[in-house]
Amino acid sequence: MDPECSRLLPALCAVLADPSQAVADDTCLEKLLDWFKTVTEAGSSLLLLQENPCLVDLLSHVLDLKPQDVSPRVLSFSLCLAGTFAAQEDCFEYLQQGQLLLGLFGEAGPLSWAAWSVPTVRSGWIRGLRSLAQHPSGLHFLGNSGAVDALFSLQGDSSLFVASAASQLLVHVLALSMQAAPQVTQALNVLTTTFGRCHSPWTEVLWGQLSPLVAHLLESDPIPAAHSLVDLLLSVARSPVFASADCGLWETMARMLSCLSPTQAGSLALGILKLQHCPQALRSQAFRVLLQPLVCILRATTQAPGPPGLLDETSAGSSMMVDTLLSSKSACVGLLCQTLAHLEELQPLPQRPSPWPQTLLVEAAVIILQLCDGSAVPSSSEGGRLCGALAGCSRVQRAALDFLGTLSQGISSRELMPQVFAVLLETLESPASSPMVLKKAFQATLRWLLDLPSPSSCLDLGPHAPLFLRELFPVLQKRLCSPCWEVRDSALEFLTHLTACWGGEADFREALLASEVPKLTWQLLRDPESYVRASAVTAMGQLSSQGLEAVSESPGHPEVQQGLIGELLHILSMDSEGFPRRAVVRVFTEWLRDSHADVARDTEWFVATVLQMVSQDLDWEVRAQGLELVRVFLVQTLGQPNPHCPYAVTLPKVTPPGPLPEVLRTLCQLQIIDFAFRALFDCDRPVAQKACDLLLFLREKTAPCSGLQEPGNSSDVTSVEATLHRWQAGEQSQPLGNLEPEELLAALRSLDLEGFQGRLAESSDHVEKSPQSLLQDMLATVAVLEENVADCY
Amino acid sequence: MEVPLLWLCEGVPSTRIWPTGAGQDVGRSCILVSIAGKNVMLDCGMHMGFNDDRRFPDFSYITQNGRLTDFLDCVIISHFHLDHCGALPYFSEMVGYDGPIYMTHPTQAICPILLEDYRKIAVDKKGEANFFTSQMIKDCMKKVVAVHLHQTVQVDDELEIKAYYAGHVLGAAMFQIKVGSESVVYTGDYNMTPDRHLGAAWIDKCRPNLLITESTYATTIRDSKRCRERDFLKKVHETVERGGKVLIPVFALGRAQELCILLETFWERMNLKVPIYFSTGLTEKANHYYKLFITWTNQKIRKTFVQRNMFEFKHIKAFDRAFADNPGPMVVFATPGMLHAGQSLQIFRKWAGNEKNMVIMPGYCVQGTVGHKILSGQRKLEMEGRQVLEVKMQVEYMSFSAHADAKGIMQLVGQAEPESVLLVHGEAKKMEFLRQKIEQEFRVSCYMPANGETVTLPTSPSIPVGISLGLLKQEMAQGLLPEAKKPRLLHGTLIMKDSSFRLVSSEQALKELGLAEHQLRFTCRVHLQDTRKEQEMALRVYSHLKSTLKDHCVQHLPDGSVTVESILIQAAAHSEDPGIKVLLVSWTYQDEELGSFLTTLLKKGLPQTPS
Repeated sequence: MDPECSRLLPALCAVLADPSQAVADDTCLEKLLDWFKTVTEAGSSLLLLQENPCLVDLLSHVLDLKPQDVSPRVLSFSLCLAGTFAAQEDCFEYLQQGQLLLGLFGEAGPLSWAAWSVPTVRSGWIRGLRSLAQHPSGLHFLGNSGAVDALFSLQGDSSLFVASAASQLLVHVLALSMQAAPQVTQALNVLTTTFGRCHSPWTEVLWGQLSPLVAHLLESDPIPAAHSLVDLLLSVARSPVFASADCGLWETMARMLSCLSPTQAGSLALGILKLQHCPQALRSQAFRVLLQPLVCILRATTQAPGPPGLLDETSAGSSMMVDTLLSSKSACVGLLCQTLAHLEELQPLPQRPSPWPQTLLVEAAVIILQLCDGSAVPSSSEGGRLCGALAGCSRVQRAALDFLGTLSQGISSRELMPQVFAVLLETLESPASSPMVLKKAFQATLRWLLDLPSPSSCLDLGPHAPLFLRELFPVLQKRLCSPCWEVRDSALEFLTHLTACWGGEADFREALLASEVPKLTWQLLRDPESYVRASAVTAMGQLSSQGLEAVSESPGHPEVQQGLIGELLHILSMDSEGFPRRAVVRVFTEWLRDSHADVARDTEWFVATVLQMVSQDLDWEVRAQGLELVRVFLVQTLGQPNPHCPYAVTLPKVTPPGPLPEVLRTLCQLQIIDFAFRALFDCDRPVAQKACDLLLFLREKTAPCSGLQEPGNSSDVTSVEATLHRWQAGEQSQPLGNLEPEELLAALRSLDLEGFQGRLAESSDHVEKSPQSLLQDMLATVAVLEENVADCY
Repeated sequence: MEVPLLWLCEGVPSTRIWPTGAGQDVGRSCILVSIAGKNVMLDCGMHMGFNDDRRFPDFSYITQNGRLTDFLDCVIISHFHLDHCGALPYFSEMVGYDGPIYMTHPTQAICPILLEDYRKIAVDKKGEANFFTSQMIKDCMKKVVAVHLHQTVQVDDELEIKAYYAGHVLGAAMFQIKVGSESVVYTGDYNMTPDRHLGAAWIDKCRPNLLITESTYATTIRDSKRCRERDFLKKVHETVERGGKVLIPVFALGRAQELCILLETFWERMNLKVPIYFSTGLTEKANHYYKLFITWTNQKIRKTFVQRNMFEFKHIKAFDRAFADNPGPMVVFATPGMLHAGQSLQIFRKWAGNEKNMVIMPGYCVQGTVGHKILSGQRKLEMEGRQVLEVKMQVEYMSFSAHADAKGIMQLVGQAEPESVLLVHGEAKKMEFLRQKIEQEFRVSCYMPANGETVTLPTSPSIPVGISLGLLKQEMAQGLLPEAKKPRLLHGTLIMKDSSFRLVSSEQALKELGLAEHQLRFTCRVHLQDTRKEQEMALRVYSHLKSTLKDHCVQHLPDGSVTVESILIQAAAHSEDPGIKVLLVSWTYQDEELGSFLTTLLKKGLPQTPS
């Protein structure tokens, strides 16, 4: 332990032991425990206690207090602390000698005090025991002290945190039996965790004992604690023991599948289908259960659903299902959302059932969406009632759109595409669609468009896409004008992604340029909402990269005359918010990387102009992004950083456009160097870190510079160094002036950049987070007015 | 894998409340309420005192599989403070809640600014990688549904919510949550006395089943805010008069605007020329929102708005980093508010060494921050790189937090007239005092669960049942007109169909359901010691009942049996013992009461016939 901490510790223990002193808040005590945990994990607890007797004094003092004087917080802390120390066997024996542990955890201790009614105390008691139950002596202690009995009753504690912790501890000691557990649910939870952890022979034995009890539970109607029972069965089934053995488990599960309510059966079915080993018959049954709600929907709305086989023999289950679906709107919505989420989870898994009825699922998702937007034509009275229950239900719409989106993967036939695209367009067009539904509809559309199968060549968008795109752009246009910022933003994000993937395709370009979309996107650069402005910047950046900003020559748009670059520079210098400015610098960086035509015209002017604005920015993320732009520029002028790995492939060297002194002079003139040095002393750590990396790169690249002489002790270098020192001290008003390449090199060498790098890698609150700081703060707080402690935001 | 117990479980719907934060503490608010089968999360706050997972509520107690959307019907955010909304992007984008989030319009506007501000500090200062991103904040905000005050919002067919003015910060609201006839009101943080820019909290007499109220100042009667404001102005004025600089660390929104108005008016009145700066570009946006939501501020501001917008400051200018080195007095508002990073800390380091300067902390600071250290009196601070910063400048603390005090809380309880009260967001000791006071004064139960403890309220759900006209007419025909408020017994058949309940006559029920009627009779044997013949026995029973039951129709039938209404009594000999006679009593369910009365009567034996 740090000597400073050792020095502070006695005073702190004295404060904690004194009931008249107000102790700092719970977070401090928690952090103090964290610290003791680290200390004991790193060394001997016994030694720690011997060197700091105040710790044992604190524990015994807490026991000596009158029970009514004990602060529950301090008591709870002491219990945890004692457990932490006793986790090491020798320290356990040491504490036992003084009967401290029995006093703290035995029946005559806090268990019988008034403070026991405070959940924190009970929780501390369990945490303490949990820590000390690490070695045989600890387990023995648990058995002898009567703690196990108390733990059994704590499983039914009024605090879920306490009850949960008690169960965990019981699982830990594995000293439990079905009879002793106070409630079925809790017993089942404990067993579930136990099965998840114990070894195969144990599992077999336990299941042998347990299966009659489970069978008994299954006879009740309704089944008690069904949720926990499902978890238990799945936990047992996950054990490899049952992969081949037949011990009634699978029959039990099959029986349970058939007698649970549809909602509960869904999670069991999903669990079964996710199992690695399981009889085929049970898997088929589970899959039928999972599909049933969708089958019901299809039956109620169309004539002949899906392939035969899957949907036979479902009559008994399906009548219960129909009852659930039609019983009330909320039951219908709940069951459908759950089913869609389950199937969505199953879809990408390797162990999903085969054959996977992709067509049926797509059809069902489409029908559900149609039921929601009111365009479905029901073929039966059930269908009519489903229409009523689902019309305008955005919760189901959201779930169905998510599901439909995942179904785009692995779609083999194009048969269903017109239907899918039609329902997506309907949803995107519908005035009733909420912003969240529209966002999900855009996402699903994007997935379907990007996953389009293109058999002949990747340039072929398939026969459906051009048709669809022609209809899509007017809708997108409308959504870009939505009064909700959420919708405008989602539409712009969609446009950006689509353009990134499809910008080169003729059909896409044609449809886009024929629409008003580029013009509207441009207009959104002046949107009142900053999120939208930022997304518009990104979208315009993408469109422009692909040569799609279109309207450049059209008269009557004065803003277009000055070009997109001018508009973006305007945003960078004038926008009152960070998001759009950050987006601009990101777009500029991309443009520079891809040698965008507007940038390539005069790269140096471009970089200098951007940096001038960025260096003034109050948002550190803009400044950090500016440094990234500089990095790209430097790589382009000086070449890639040297590989540090001796086996790395050496890339062909980029030859600097001129002799190195010239290049460096340009960098100085463009204020790149000034910017990087200032950023090194930035008060925001990530900026300084990036600047440091950048300067290291620069130093490395200029190291073997032949054509330059380093100036000896010229006064210029001294003044540069003096300026840098002042900057470091926080006075950055004085400019660096125009540096000569030689001075730059000297300045680079004079700085301990590696030292900077090391310091910056540490999080900047490492001093505040230190244990000394914690102890000092806790001691200092004791004396402060109560009002400060009680106050909040 | 550790499997904690889950809070949401199947079973009979009841009203249950489970604070996972704000139960007997003021750390972070997050309270789950289950009301008539609907589950609602009230606030989703972050604990500023922790830097690890403990800063967010542990959502694994709600559900394991992460599909919270299936379990929760909605999330409600009371106001924009991070201890009430800071975990929201984590909850919605990282844990995966996909359902609706409700808050007022101002909260919706301001919340992302503060979240973004906090994210930037966390990433900047600690380099935390596993933190929510800007994109996540935006995606989270897209799930928000904004509500107006007093607007009843249908979350779904059964669940509705309504916002009331809370006066704690701009846009702060109390929420009423209602399912059928059951309702809960959650106050969030509120203030019952108007201040310089906000009005007082108000709620109508909505008589909820439960009022969940904050109790920060449960035992305090606070002095008037005017005194604190005067004190603040005096301190600032004195410092600049003697040429010192004043640093006021603030969070971008909330307290900052309040203090800006205060200084602006004072500067105007005193005709002061000392510059006041606000350190980040956020002022502009913050002030924009205050202007936009002028209806949410108090009456005075709204009135004067016509002549002059209070938020268009004449004296307060944007700050440039170079200004900190300027000589002479100045006042600077800088973020963040706890002096733990960025601008405010940088300026503090520059000015700390001069005893003429002053730093005023207008809010709470968590342990570990420089703000906390100087407030607890520490004057030598270790900074990065083993540097020690000696603090010579004056350090002042001023609490401007706007919470209801004990009087205010009682006033609100009186206003809403709840059936029971539950205290959150306060300290256990103080809560206990208030709890007793509430129970005594209002004669209602008052709860104060700790974090993790569930409170289950006894509920008597009322289920509407339709009664057929035929049945009512039939009943009317049988007796007198029903009296108001006096319960009367009515026989009928309850039909549950299509999730509705109807009470109809049994005939109608049979007809509707296409069922045949089954007659059900209760029978009972009464054994009596008697040697006389059966006929004589029956006659004796007849005369005994005739004299006892004067209001009923008692008949002696030719076959020897006796009837009282639908009850049939027959006498028979015992098969084995001739000294015992058996009375067979049978009746229909309509006469159940009379039937059991008769058997009890007969069991007592027959009166001796006078010989």
